[in-house]
Amino acid sequence: MTATRLDENILLTADNCRYCLMCRHVCPIGHVTGLETLTPHGWGLMIASNRRGLLTWNDESVFKLYSCADCGTCRAHCVTDQPLPETIATARAQVVEAGLAPPAVGRVAEMLQRWQNPYEEQAPEPVEGRGEVALFVGDEATYLRPGLLDAALKLLEAAGIRPVLIGRGRSNGYVASSLGLIEIAHDLARANLEDLAASGARRLLVLSPGDFFAFKQLYPERLQLSLPDSVDLSEVTVLLAQALDRGELAFEPLPPGPPHAYVDPSHSVRVKTRYDAPRKLLAAVIPAPPVELFWRRERTHPVGSTALKFTIPQFADHLTWARLGDARQAGAQRLISEDAGTLKALGDHAARFGVEVLSLYELLASQLR
Amino acid sequence: MKYSFPREMIRSELEDIVGQHFVSVEETDRLVYSTDWSWMPQMWLDRGERLPMPDYIVHPGSAEEISEIMDIANKYHLPVVPWGGGSGTQGGALPMFGGILLDMKRMNKIIEIDEVSLTVTAQAGINGQQLEWALNEKGLTLPHYAASAKCATLGGYLAPRGTGTISTKYGKAEDMVMSMQIVLPTGEIIRTPPVPQHAAGPDWTRLWLGAEGTLGVITEATMRVEYIPESRLLRAVLFDDLSKALEAGRRMMTRRLHPFVIRLYDPASTKTRVKAILGYDFDGAYMVLGFDGDPDIAALEEEKALEMCAELGGRDLGPEPGWKWWNHRYDFYYPPINLKLPWMYGTTETITTYDKIEKLYWAEKKAVEEGFAEWNVRFIGHFSHWFHWGVMLYSRFIIEEPPQDAREALRLHNRIWNTAMQAVLANGGMINEHHGIGLKLGRYMRKQYGDAWPFLLRLKKMIDPNGIMNPGKVGF
Ligand SMILES: Cc1cc2nc3c(=O)[nH]c(=O)nc-3n(C[C@H](O)[C@H](O)[C@H](O)COP(=O)(O)OP(=O)(O)OC[C@H]3O[C@@H](n4cnc5c(N)ncnc54)[C@H](O)[C@@H]3O)c2cc1C
Ligand code: SF4
Ligand code: SF4
Repeated sequence: MTATRLDENILLTADNCRYCLMCRHVCPIGHVTGLETLTPHGWGLMIASNRRGLLTWNDESVFKLYSCADCGTCRAHCVTDQPLPETIATARAQVVEAGLAPPAVGRVAEMLQRWQNPYEEQAPEPVEGRGEVALFVGDEATYLRPGLLDAALKLLEAAGIRPVLIGRGRSNGYVASSLGLIEIAHDLARANLEDLAASGARRLLVLSPGDFFAFKQLYPERLQLSLPDSVDLSEVTVLLAQALDRGELAFEPLPPGPPHAYVDPSHSVRVKTRYDAPRKLLAAVIPAPPVELFWRRERTHPVGSTALKFTIPQFADHLTWARLGDARQAGAQRLISEDAGTLKALGDHAARFGVEVLSLYELLASQLR
Repeated sequence: MKYSFPREMIRSELEDIVGQHFVSVEETDRLVYSTDWSWMPQMWLDRGERLPMPDYIVHPGSAEEISEIMDIANKYHLPVVPWGGGSGTQGGALPMFGGILLDMKRMNKIIEIDEVSLTVTAQAGINGQQLEWALNEKGLTLPHYAASAKCATLGGYLAPRGTGTISTKYGKAEDMVMSMQIVLPTGEIIRTPPVPQHAAGPDWTRLWLGAEGTLGVITEATMRVEYIPESRLLRAVLFDDLSKALEAGRRMMTRRLHPFVIRLYDPASTKTRVKAILGYDFDGAYMVLGFDGDPDIAALEEEKALEMCAELGGRDLGPEPGWKWWNHRYDFYYPPINLKLPWMYGTTETITTYDKIEKLYWAEKKAVEEGFAEWNVRFIGHFSHWFHWGVMLYSRFIIEEPPQDAREALRLHNRIWNTAMQAVLANGGMINEHHGIGLKLGRYMRKQYGDAWPFLLRLKKMIDPNGIMNPGKVGF
């Protein structure tokens, strides 16, 4: 599968976005850079201008093209659901095909081709056994937050679920797709779907909204691959919150501590119904009312955990600093989230902002009754 | 991008002031900043043509930095063009002669929210929606509900004297200004008086409201805010006759009801835009009415308003079509359902007193429709900002198949504007109510102001002796 075989129509979205300013207020990169070029309309105009011969792809313009975080916030706020992040990914695929991608893209491509993840020189683990429920582990929970998986499994067990693990150590394909590495993204997605088929599961659980987005939207829209209709997809937090509601789970509350806030993970905006479940779980272990960050729920800004960290790490860091600054402004001293990538990015910079970062699954598991 | 020696010198001087990261001369940025939201430059790029570009895109971090930038601009005689969100429709932020484009978005801090006096002080580059969200967290709202809140900045609300959806009760953006900090073209950083109502001499604060960056840069503003209203009522009324609908609105305003919105679509808009966006297929003039505040008072005012409408044959459609409009009022601006290229369009909005408004509407409609019949031009309008003495007409022309050649298209666009503005001026209208003058309307300023225009030119010369600020705009 190559970029030229992708539906060219998606690039026509650029013609819609090039002169539209209606989602720029939620674009995190526009927010941290203040640069008109790095807003949805800027990317739309760049791609549209390239097609009109007014802009060529060179080091400078390609840097700008790769500055979008592929966080989905623009599309989540678009009344007409224009697939701008998909359009940007498609334009990047064309840049990759033309051999003009930034060198970092080549390095990520090599790692993904060889190891199926961009973090460690280690191959994914094969699926063991079959069962009704599968849990997609992915690469970030495996390599960026060891401990998260065990905690999640302990919680699921308490709720009566023992999932078959799939995709352990393998990328969900988002990074590759975002960087314009369509063939690689396709191979990774297909491998994950093959794992799922091998597990025989009819329910697929994921640990983060990023994984949910990958299976639910990215595979069909960007890669023309789909979950089988018979498979039900849900986030672990949603399932645990339901178990909590039914009284199947109970937690020992922590003693009162400094003010805390829940951090909606990167990609949260792409899963519109998810915002209450993690908050409900958190309230079961920290009953004091949380402070809320400014960039929360429907307007969640990502931290630097998206594909951007591989190509333009300085912008990725700015995203993380902005969220930590947001927390400091709100008066939060403890930040809690469940996504491994989000935890890693926050954790790497937390000390500078005087905040502590905690993993929701690990916190919950430690307080299980 | 590598510049020649003098330009590299200036670039490096600018970098000394704001830091290297905050000056861009890159080709992609220069292209993106070459167009704002006005039709002319957008069409120009759409047809594959190039526009004038800024030489330096600078993101200042403080009034002091802007003051130093003014020194450089005066020394080298470089244009300085303030840029907020670039959402202006009149070409006000276009860097017509290159120079320094000052993107204000780095100056986006809220300095203070005063919950006792109900004011907010913020830097001028703050995004309208982000400011609103921050106020909402405290139960407050800035009652300038511009349809561009998501993209415009506070400075951009004030510089062209914007008007928002709920202006009929709460006023124009300029009416909310308590005080401003301004950097003059000569570099002085001044602050206008702390309160708007006083008798300590003339009200010179207003000089910068409507100056559109030609008299200096607004760097900070203190604005009056309100509590989020306790209740909101919305309702729609349908009139067979536009004239009667206008009279109903006039009665509501002159008898001092306090609707926060009266939005009256003419039959042509009702049949096209309202149908396309809201899905209602009404024949006649569709009017949305809104009342807010104390629930009992709002309900009583709504009842009185409906009585006035009924007396004039207005049919109450109930709350649903009112709420639908309110909840989808910004949908009109999202592509591909908005007015967009390759169509040609222009908003020739105007304002006048009640005794003249209807005549003006028909005169402008006739002039445009008859004058450009061979282009199948459509003229539509709505009346959305009501005062107790008059009302704004948001009139628009639309051509679905304009000339493909950029120059021909530009010429036709200008000719239609000329026709519309002649009709407006001949019927006692102002050449603009809230989008401002920008590049588009500068040529009508002399006609608008007659003998007062040379006085305004002298004022400009005095405040900006080297003519560095936003040249070619507001007729200066
Ligand atoms: C979708 C959409 C809907 C709109 N709806 C409305 C509406 O409901 N009501 C309304 O009034 N307008 C509306 N507009 C027009 C426009 O958005 C407004 O005029 C807006 O307030 C401009 O703000 P901006 O920050 O984008 O300014 P820009 O477009 O960047 O600038 C406009 C002018 O102000 C000057 N300027 C900007 N900032 C400063 C500053 N700090 N100091 C001095 N001069 C400055 C610029 O040089 C330029 O001349 C709409 C536009 C769009 C795109
Ligand atoms: S995604 Fe939607 S709101 Fe954003 S620029 Fe494109 S059309 Fe406008
Ligand atoms: S995907 Fe995120 S960073 Fe990219 S344009 Fe949309 S909102 Fe901005």
